[in-house]
Amino acid sequence: MAPRHAASGPEPLGVGPGAKSQHECPRVAVTSRAVANQEDFEVLAMQYAGEIYAHALRLTSDKADAEDLVQETFLKGYRGFAGFESGSNLRAWLYRIATNSYINGYRAKKRRPETRDIDSMGEWALHQRIGGLEKAASDVTPESIVMESITDAAVKAALDALPDDFKQPVLLADVDGFSYREIAEILDIPIGTVMSRLSRGRKRLEVALFSLAVERGLVEPNPEPESVSV
Amino acid sequence: MNCYEIREQIYSYMDGELTLWRMRAVSIHLSECPPCASGMEFKVVLRASVAQRSAEALPSELQGRILALIAAERSGAE
Repeated sequence: MAPRHAASGPEPLGVGPGAKSQHECPRVAVTSRAVANQEDFEVLAMQYAGEIYAHALRLTSDKADAEDLVQETFLKGYRGFAGFESGSNLRAWLYRIATNSYINGYRAKKRRPETRDIDSMGEWALHQRIGGLEKAASDVTPESIVMESITDAAVKAALDALPDDFKQPVLLADVDGFSYREIAEILDIPIGTVMSRLSRGRKRLEVALFSLAVERGLVEPNPEPESVSV
Repeated sequence: MNCYEIREQIYSYMDGELTLWRMRAVSIHLSECPPCASGMEFKVVLRASVAQRSAEALPSELQGRILALIAAERSGAE
């Protein structure tokens, strides 16, 4: 019996040579089994350029470096798009290229802050301290009072102070909304490692912003933080 | 589930990464335990704040440069 498909293979849905009108191509995520066609890279990938740029800027903390990283990401993406493993997620794939390019290139140039021992302060004690503001607030939650009083620059500084290994999972989860499995793929680490780094990174961020709130007199310092860390 | 277990799993709960059974157990605990509910509220506010303050717009000329780069790559490869 003859094979069902000719040697040229089946036409990929929507991304084959037949789909010539790129401007009319809808902005869709590649999740089908279709073989990726390099001609369609711009249409499919450019919709993520904004968030890849934001991701690059968060990684590099420098606009010029971020722009270079985005260009490198899209060039590598274009070159590798023919081999793009269909069934996987184009958005996560681009994030992975950007992250790898950053790790292999840009991070080597930069010195990251040393890991500081701020885990000793109990996470739960932190909530309790901030919760203590409740007495002063009526219709506004104490947590939002604290967060509104902290500037964008301070939040960014707190993020920047996180070691990369913690910062990246936190950003991918909390800013970009990736699942643990996707983060594991993007960073090429086991899912258990994603979970532990996320947990530690988030705790550090909370403590850093709490410390800032104490500095600014927004909350009372806790002289003897209750240690509940394990 | 006790408060300690909630503390350990609260972010996974917020991330929707627990099993349905555990999601439900955490949800029930939160509805009955104001300190734990307040703890989660803080995390929700913190996360929203980080996300909101991390937004960046793509510089308009960068998009043009990316497209030009790909076009050059394409014509060079042919």
